[in-house]
Parts: sequence; structure tokens; C-alpha cells
Amino acid sequence: MFKKILLIEDDKFLRELMSKKLINLGYEVVSAADGESGFIMIKETKPDVVLLDLILPGINGFEVLEKAKQDQEIANIPVVILSNLGQGEDIEKGLALGAKDFLVKAHFTPQEIVNKLKSILG
Amino acid sequence: MPEKMLNFTETKEDELRRVRAALLNILEDTEEARREAVRERNKTMAIIENLTDGIFLLNNKNEVEIISPLVLDFFKKKKEEIIGKNIVDLFDNEELKEFKELLIDSKKGRINKVTKKEISIGQRMDIEVYTVFLEEGQEEGGVLIILHDVTRDKLIERMKTEFVSIAAHQLRTPLSAIKWTLRMVIDGETGDITSEQKELLEKTYVSNERMISLINDLLNVSKIEEGRFLYKQEMASLEEIVSIVVDSSQELLKMKKMKISFDRPKQILPQVNIDKEKMELVVQNLLENAVKYTPEGGEINISLEKDKNDIVFKIKDTGVGIPEVQKERIFTKFFRGDNVIRMETEGSGLGLYTTKNIVDAHNGKIWFDSEEGKGTTFVFSIPIPNQSIDQ
Repeated sequence: MFKKILLIEDDKFLRELMSKKLINLGYEVVSAADGESGFIMIKETKPDVVLLDLILPGINGFEVLEKAKQDQEIANIPVVILSNLGQGEDIEKGLALGAKDFLVKAHFTPQEIVNKLKSILG
Repeated sequence: MPEKMLNFTETKEDELRRVRAALLNILEDTEEARREAVRERNKTMAIIENLTDGIFLLNNKNEVEIISPLVLDFFKKKKEEIIGKNIVDLFDNEELKEFKELLIDSKKGRINKVTKKEISIGQRMDIEVYTVFLEEGQEEGGVLIILHDVTRDKLIERMKTEFVSIAAHQLRTPLSAIKWTLRMVIDGETGDITSEQKELLEKTYVSNERMISLINDLLNVSKIEEGRFLYKQEMASLEEIVSIVVDSSQELLKMKKMKISFDRPKQILPQVNIDKEKMELVVQNLLENAVKYTPEGGEINISLEKDKNDIVFKIKDTGVGIPEVQKERIFTKFFRGDNVIRMETEGSGLGLYTTKNIVDAHNGKIWFDSEEGKGTTFVFSIPIPNQSIDQ
């Protein structure tokens, strides 16, 4: 069984790059381009892990995370924040809301991001 | 005899006439002086009435004697509700609580000495406060309170930092795309590339990394200027932080064939109250500078020790040094030494500015000693909190 990863990312190009990388490595990838549909996708597709951007059109990533953690059905799905925010208070907030990790996009290569996912997926 | 009498009367009359003239003269002078005083008063009032700063003049009983119109805005009161009142009675509004605490020493019932303190009145105004004590000989005179409206300046400052912060976040997104793409292409994930192509792309990757780190620097600076830079302070070991930075710099040092030695403290040093992430940035900035500005094969020595009340960090290099004439400007924003601009194009001029601000925010001190062509030693100290001296 291939592990399923949900990408919630509004930048089309970043979404494509990350999907490509993950598909090449044999993961199943589903994606959403805004917060609203991202949340619905978590519920519908039940991924093994969610890669979540924070600045999204409509409801932002923090809100998606908060809603997901309050929903019994999906609260256990690990969420990794992948954003270009990354000041102390953003990180603290993300982790307090239940994110597994907080990665600043510009500071990680796709391979490094995959390595983080691997360690979470076990 | 009658003649003498007559003479006497005449003299008396003359004298009276003279006295009258003299009196009239005095009266005229007095009137002139009064008019002069009125003119002076009008002039003073005209100046005060048209001032863009808020001004209070209090007499020695702390009663308001003169105000400028801006004061009415601060208190949202009419002029007659202010003049003649004791200043203490004017702060009946919750909005003015901060202002009252700054201005009045409620225990002693006195006005505090204040120089350029910034406070905000509700959400609507930011003001800078000054108090000036007027002395009349030995007696205690009145107090002049000056309120300088800086609402607009603060707004612009806030907009500026917000702009930098948003711009920096926005810039990171395309840079991430470039970084990810380059990495994937270089690693051959999109098919084979020639070694020449690979070499060029590696250089592009390094340029892009520089851009990302420049943006990080800008973000740090905008945080400093917002005044909310230190994020989380906790008791931690500085030695641990230095070790982490030194360990993670091994590759960089190897590349430049440099030797580094770290004189660890002989006994376990007390912990200090620090923002670990920011303190790591301080040590890293200083180490990176030492590496950057020391020619290949040079040496770096780091030491950490306990002074009387501080933990003192020292980093000594055998680098190019800081030109004598530029030493004063070394910690200013965007400053770069003349000699280093020529040898090393990389560098934002924000590293030492950020470093100093972090050390200052921890109530520490930073200084250096440098001789051009011989090397530089940077030193910073962080105070040990009282309780850990007792322990």
C-alpha cells in the first residue's frame, strides 16, 4: 500500500513540484489549492499525512488545522506545516494547534521535506 | 516779610508742579511697562496657542495656568474645565491611565521628571512626553509639561515594518520555487544533465540561497524595529549554544582550511535567561564573520568564561580586521567595511546590526578589538540572573 499524502498549497508551481517529487518516490498524492477544499479533502481522502500551507485564500492554514484537530474523525491524521511564515509566534501557534512539525519552505529542499515526512510516516 | 512769604509760596507751587510732572512721568512709564507686559503676554500666548505640541504650564501648586489647544484633544475637555484645576484631577478617564502613571508620582503627589517617554492615549494617539521644572530663585517654581504628537510617525513606522515583513514573506515563495526546481534538476530527478550544466546550476543555487538568507536578515531587522524581537526567553546554557554552532560550522571551516579551537569553560557555567534561537543567531553571525573575513588557513579561537556578573563570549580571528576610521559605524544597519566589500561580495550589512540588537535586548554588552591586517576579537557578555549567583 502506497502512503497517501495530501498537499494543501495555493501556489500552483510549488504544488506541482512537490507532487512530482512525491509521485516519483512512489507516494500517492492528492492536493487542494485553498483552505476550504483542503479541509474537505482531509475528510474525504483520509490521507496518511497532510502538508499544509498557512497563507491560503479563504480560510487560512491555522484555521484548517484547528478544525481538523477538533474533528474526531480526522484528528489523528498528522499535519506538517509547510509555509513561508516562520517567525517564533507562528511556529508556536502551529505546534500548539497540533501540527507535527513546522517547515519553512525556503529553508528546505524537496528531499529534506520528504525525509521529514518519512520519519513521521514511520 | 511778606515778600519772603510770597517767595515761599511760589517755591512751594513750583515744587508741586515739578512733583506732578514727575508723577505723571512715572505713571506714563508704568502704563508703558503695563502695555509692554500685555504685548509680551500676547506674544507668549500667540506662540502657545499656535504650537503644534501640547503644553501645560503648572504653578507650584500643580494647578494648570496655561495650555495650548492640543491639550484639549488629549483630555477631550473644554478649556474652562482645565484651567485652574489641579493636574491630578484631570485624569478621570481610563484612556489616560498610562499617561497619569508616567506623569504623576502619586505617593509624593509630585510631577515626575520625564524626558522623551512614549505613551499611547487609548488607541488614538501616540505622544512623547517631557517635563521641565522651572525654578524661581530658591523657591520651587512651576512645571512645564510638553506633549509631542508622534501618532503619524508611529503609524508610518508600523506600516514600514509591516511592509518589509509582508514583502519578505512574499519574496520567499518564488525563491522556494527556484530552490526546489534547481535542487531537483541538479540531483538528476528530471533527467541527466551535463557536468557543465550542473556546475552552473550549483552556482545559481548558491546565489538563490544568498537571496533567501538576505530576506531572513531583513525579516529580523523588521522584527527588531517592531520591538518584538525576543520571542521566548528561558534559562539555558550558553556553552550548549556555542557547541551547536561550532559543530554545525565544521564543513564551512574545512572548506576554507581554517583551524578553530573552542576553550571550554573549566567549570560548569551558570545558566542565563536567553532566547535560544536568537542567541544562536548571535554566535553564528560572529563565527560566520570570522570565517568570511579571515583568509584561507587562518585561525579562530572561541572562549567562554564567567566574569563577576556575566558570561563572557570571545571570538578571535586572524582576519583582515576593521579599518580604524570605520570602527564607529560597525554596528549600524547596512554598514560594510571598505576592505571587506572588495574581498567578499556576499553580505548584507545586517549581521552585526542584528547581533548587537539581540545582545542589547538581553541586557548584555558587545564590543570588539581590531587591528587591520592582524585580526579581530569580538566579545559579548550576558548578565547572570541573581538567583543563579545565589545557587
